[in-house]
Amino acid sequence: MLVVKDLTKKFISASGDVTAIDNVNLTVQTGEFASIIGKSGSGKSTLLSMLGALDIPTSGSIEVDGVDIAKLSASKQTAYRAKKIGFVFQYYNLIPNLTALENVMLALEFGGMPANKRKARAVQLLNDVGLEPDQQLRKPTRLSGGQQQRVSIARALANRPAIVLADEPTGNLDSENGKKIFDLLHKLSRSEKTTILAVTHDMDIAGKTDRTFKLKDGKITI
Amino acid sequence: MNIVSRGVKNALRSPLRSGSIVLMLAISICLILSMLVARSSVDAKINEVKSTAGTNITISPAGVMGFSGGGDALTNEQLATITSTAHISSTSATLTDQLGTTDTNLTASLEMGNFGARMMRFESTSTSGSDTTTTTNTDSASAANSTTESARPAPTPRITVTGTTNPNSVSTDGSDLNITSGTTINGTSSELVALIGDSLATKNSLTIGSTFTAYDKTVTVSGIFKTNNTFQDSGIIMPLAAVQTLTDQTDAVSSVIAKVDSSDNVSSTVTALKTVLGTKADIVSQVEQAAASVSSLESISGLALAGVIGATIAGAIIILLAMILVVRERRREIGVLKAIGGSNRKVIGQFIIEALTLTIIGSIVGLTFGVLVSGPMTNSLVSSSQTSSNSTTTRSGPGGNDSAAKMIGRGFGQISNNITQVTSSITPTVFILSISITLLIAIIGSAIPAWFISRIRPAEVLRTE
Repeated sequence: MLVVKDLTKKFISASGDVTAIDNVNLTVQTGEFASIIGKSGSGKSTLLSMLGALDIPTSGSIEVDGVDIAKLSASKQTAYRAKKIGFVFQYYNLIPNLTALENVMLALEFGGMPANKRKARAVQLLNDVGLEPDQQLRKPTRLSGGQQQRVSIARALANRPAIVLADEPTGNLDSENGKKIFDLLHKLSRSEKTTILAVTHDMDIAGKTDRTFKLKDGKITI
Repeated sequence: MNIVSRGVKNALRSPLRSGSIVLMLAISICLILSMLVARSSVDAKINEVKSTAGTNITISPAGVMGFSGGGDALTNEQLATITSTAHISSTSATLTDQLGTTDTNLTASLEMGNFGARMMRFESTSTSGSDTTTTTNTDSASAANSTTESARPAPTPRITVTGTTNPNSVSTDGSDLNITSGTTINGTSSELVALIGDSLATKNSLTIGSTFTAYDKTVTVSGIFKTNNTFQDSGIIMPLAAVQTLTDQTDAVSSVIAKVDSSDNVSSTVTALKTVLGTKADIVSQVEQAAASVSSLESISGLALAGVIGATIAGAIIILLAMILVVRERRREIGVLKAIGGSNRKVIGQFIIEALTLTIIGSIVGLTFGVLVSGPMTNSLVSSSQTSSNSTTTRSGPGGNDSAAKMIGRGFGQISNNITQVTSSITPTVFILSISITLLIAIIGSAIPAWFISRIRPAEVLRTE
């Protein structure tokens, strides 16, 4: 379960303090598929980066299964990212000189899986997201956008994380592929009992999730 | 997949860029090796020259060189002072004089020649003047005719007499005097005995036991010596005391050669002697002469060291800039690695291995080239400087050109046996030095980029393009 309490993030800029996230409170149950919608500059990405321990909040707490990740040391945060969080990015962010399989195995390495078990697990994950065996050995540049995003989802799920954070997962895909990726995430949240929090501006997609948070000027409006 | 294989894989990610980095690095590593090899062989050469230089110090009266110049001879008292100076193990003193036709019944074996005639021109003018007077007094009738002749009588060469406490010091090649017949003389005695040069003996048909007249005294031939030096072989060697007595210079010494116990003490002994003797003597040591002749080698050694430092800095900068570029270019990728759980240690480790891979490949290429290049390079450095130092000390002008031409030919001819040559000049010190310099390059080249990496925030990854 993800519980966010009184979360505030301020940036210091030349023109004074900017409050990107203003006293946000939200709760997402385990296995729930939630979405965050909002216009550009509403603070979606800032919220996501704090949930993923990529950034530290100014005040407030983020509890994942009872642990406040905002108060963890830098090395514990790294371990948290490796084991408890899976990221899916708009631009996939696969490592370009590694094959699809190696990209997934890299996440397994960071998650601390023994070297001899990584390959089998990575192949199984890639099969689950629907990547053909010959495609698994290709480098990202030789895969389509949809295929790359599948690899990226497999990578995010590699270490059986508590939460998958998705930043515009369908934003760079055509509507047909976007729908396939959404369906994949939806299916995984059901089968793997993984909490999924997706940032999107696509109202169609947001409407199909279990719960939608609307962010405006750093505040939850619904 | 692990850090090492990712690092190695990344190093070869862009063949063109990696290739050019490796090439640049190889050039600087090649330079480092050849400079180290050059330095060690030049240093070896310097030590060789210095160790063979000997420990003799030559002390001559101030202003005197051979028979030229002027000034007062050294005295026995000064000789005693020299002998009692610390670190001097032995001394040999000499007094040289020349026998004119009126001093001896011997005929000089040297021809006067152009050089001798010019050297004697002052004296011949003065003698011709007195001769003319005598002639006029005795035979006035032929005065007119004889004036022209006797105004410039054919000057006669003189015979050099060397009075020495140690006959062996006359030897030109540093070894003992080569006595071809008879026995050597005791330099410390005052007997009227002499060693006769081979040419002079032949000219005057002297054998062992023969006698000749010098300074109105009869001198017995004790032995005949041969040095293959025309000047020496036309001279006479006698005990120092005998020459001092015969020439009425009982207290005079024209040159002292002092032997120092160890080459390390030569310069301090020279300083001590200069303090004691002051301006009365000119002091020259063989070690100082050797030092002067190896000064060109020493400058090459210094230059080689500067080359090593320069090439090391260049190599480190190449890796440093390359890695900074790589880190900047992969900023986003580093963010991804951190976002999916890569620790700073793992990410930095991967980049250090990348830098190390480039350095190792560069080293292998560079060392291969270095082995091929450093042989002829060192050779040309050492032999050219030797040629120049030879020509300054012995003034053998044309010889220098000859060996320079030979040297170029040799340089090409030796490429085949370079490997053995260079391996022999790669001492453990040079080897350890190259290895540590290469490591230093890799460390400097990746330390600063590593710091950059640690400062990249994982949130970087959420930046939209």
